[in-house]
Amino acid sequence: MNFAFQPEIEMAKETAEKIHKKFEGRRKELFEKIRRNEFVQEIWDELAKAGFLGSIVPHEYGGTGIGLLGSAVAMEELAKYGIGNALFVLTICAESCIIRNGSEQIKRKFLPAMAEGKIKCALGVTEPEAGTNTFRIKTFAEKKNGRYIINGEKTYITGADVADYILLVTRTIPYSELSKKGLPKMYGLSLFMVDLKSKGIKMHKLNTRGIEGMNQFTIFFEDVEVPEENLVGEENQGVFVMFNGLNPERILAGASAVGLSEFCLKRAVEYANQRCVFGERPIGSYQAIQHPLADVKIRQEAVRLVVYKSAWAYDNNLPPQEVMFLANSAKYLAAELLLQAVDRAIQTYGGAGFVEDNFFIILWDSARLLKTAPISNEMILNLTAEHVLGLPRSY
Amino acid sequence: MKILVPIKRTYDPNSKIKLKTDGSGIDTSNIKFVINTFDEIAVEEALRKKEEFGGEVVVVSVGTQEWIEQIRTALAMGADRGILVDTGGKYIDQVGIAKILAKIVEEEKPDLVIMGKQAIDDDANQVGQLLAGYLNWPQATFAYKVEVKPNEKKVTVVREVDGGLETVECELPAIITTDLRLNQPRYASLPGIMKAKQKPVKTIKVEDLGIDLTPKVKIEKLETPPPRKAGVKVKDVDEFIAKLKELKALPF
Repeated sequence: MNFAFQPEIEMAKETAEKIHKKFEGRRKELFEKIRRNEFVQEIWDELAKAGFLGSIVPHEYGGTGIGLLGSAVAMEELAKYGIGNALFVLTICAESCIIRNGSEQIKRKFLPAMAEGKIKCALGVTEPEAGTNTFRIKTFAEKKNGRYIINGEKTYITGADVADYILLVTRTIPYSELSKKGLPKMYGLSLFMVDLKSKGIKMHKLNTRGIEGMNQFTIFFEDVEVPEENLVGEENQGVFVMFNGLNPERILAGASAVGLSEFCLKRAVEYANQRCVFGERPIGSYQAIQHPLADVKIRQEAVRLVVYKSAWAYDNNLPPQEVMFLANSAKYLAAELLLQAVDRAIQTYGGAGFVEDNFFIILWDSARLLKTAPISNEMILNLTAEHVLGLPRSY
Repeated sequence: MKILVPIKRTYDPNSKIKLKTDGSGIDTSNIKFVINTFDEIAVEEALRKKEEFGGEVVVVSVGTQEWIEQIRTALAMGADRGILVDTGGKYIDQVGIAKILAKIVEEEKPDLVIMGKQAIDDDANQVGQLLAGYLNWPQATFAYKVEVKPNEKKVTVVREVDGGLETVECELPAIITTDLRLNQPRYASLPGIMKAKQKPVKTIKVEDLGIDLTPKVKIEKLETPPPRKAGVKVKDVDEFIAKLKELKALPF
C-alpha cells in the first residue's frame, strides 16, 4: 500500500495552491462577492485555464484524464482558502455522466467545451414533490419528431443563473404507468443536457443560504424543445447514468469540506496562539481550547483518507456499489467534520467568531447544508444499512 | 533559439526551517521542496522567449535523483527536456556547480543561459557570474526586463541596481540572471503535467564529467538567527524619533 500521490497529482496540487495564492491578496474582495452570492468568474477561469475542468475527461475529448483525484485535490486546496465552488463540482458531475454513459455524438458535442470551462452545468434532480425519492419525479420528456419536449418543474437548482446547461433528470415513462406495464420503478428515467437559454424556461430565485457564491432557483419548463442528440445515455435507463454523476458530487463535496475544515483549523490555531484573556498566556495554552482543535485535526486526517480513497475508487472503476459506499462515506464524514471544525473555530474566536469578516459564521450555513445536501446524512445511513450491511429497507 | 535554464531544488519559501540538532545542516523532514523562486522566474522567461522566437528550452539540475521532481515541474510548465547531473548527494560548492554547468553549456551550445540570480537557501549569488567567467561569456545579472534580438545576436537587459535601473546590451551567447520582478511565473497546467511525463530527462553521473570538484568552500556550521525581541509601543512620531535616537538607530 502506498499513500503517496503520483507525481502528476502532486503537481496538480501545487498548481491549485499557486492559483489560490494568486487570489490571496484579494481575499477580502472575493469574500465580499461570495457573501453577496455573486459568482466569482475569475476563479472559474483560472481553474479552467489550469485544466481542472478536464481532469476526468479523456485526452481524445480535450481533457487530460488525470482523474477525479486531481479535481478533488484542487477542490481541497481551494477550500483551504475558504472558497467553495459548487458549479465546478456540478459541471464535473455532468461530465462524468456523459463520459460514462454518453454516445460518441454527445461526447464530441459537449466534453471538449466543458473541459475548457466554456460550458458550466447545473444539475436538475429535485422537484417540489420528489427529492431523495427521485423515482417519483414528474418532469416529463416526450419524444416528438426527432426532438424531446420537456414539461415540468425543478427546485433548489444551484447556479442556474450562471450555468449554460442543466443536466436534467426527467421521466420518459410516467411513474403511474410503470406498475401497469409491470416495469420496475427505476425504469423510465432519462437525462438530458438542456440549454438554459431555451425557449419555455422560467426561473424563480429562492431565498436560500448555504451555497457560497451561488443562488438557488425553481425552474419551470414549458414545452422546452431539446434535440434528440442531447439525451445522455439510453432512454429510460437514466437511473444508471445519474449514479455516475452523484458519486463525483459526493466525493468532491467531501474534498471541499476537508479543505474548509483546514481553513477553520488554521485560523483557529493562529488566533489561539495570539489571543490572551487571563494574563500573558494565550488561550491556545488551555486544554479546553487545544483538545477540541486537536480532535478536529485527527478526524480531518481520517476523512481526507476516505475522500482520497473514494476518488481513487472512482478513477479505477471499482464496482459501482463499492464506489457508492465510499463516496457516501466521504460525504457523510466530511459533513460531520466540517460542522465540528466551524463550531470549534467559532468557539475559539469567542464573540469575534460571529463577526462576518472572520467568515466562520457565513461558513456555518455551508457546513450545515452539507449535512442535508447533496444527500442527507440520514439517507446515507439508510442506504448503507440496506445495501452494504444487507439489513431490511427502512424507508 | 536554444535556451538553457539551470534550476536548483530548494525549500519552499513558506516552510518553517529547522536545523539539525548538531547544526550540520537543515532538517529536511517535513519540508516541501520546490524550484528555487528565482530559477522559476528564469524558466518562465525562457518559455516566453521560446514562444516569441521558437526554439528549445532545456533545464539542467545538479543534484540527486529527487531533483527530477523539480525538473518535471519545469517540463510541465513547458520546457522541452531535462538534464540531471547526478552528484550522488556529495556536497559541491558554487565553483564546482559553475564548472559543471560550463561543461553542460559546452555540450549543449545554447544561445542563452537564463538562471536565478541566487538560490533562496544559501543566497550565495555566485554561480551565474562564475559560469560567465569560466565560459568567457558576457553576463547581465539581476534582470528586470529582457529583450532578445536574435537577428542581431544581441540581448538588451534592464538590470535592477541599487540606484535604480541600468540597461546593458550583450552579445549572444550570454548569461542572464533573473531578479524577482522580471515576471510572474506560470503554473503547470494539467495538460502540461501530463505532457511532461513523456518528455525526456537525461541523467549524467558527475564523475563522468571528469571535473575536479574539490570544494573551495566548506560549511562549518549553521545557526538560526536569535529570536526577535519584543517591541515597544510609542505614542506618536516624536516619541518614535526620540526612541530611535536613544537606540542610536538614526544617522544624525
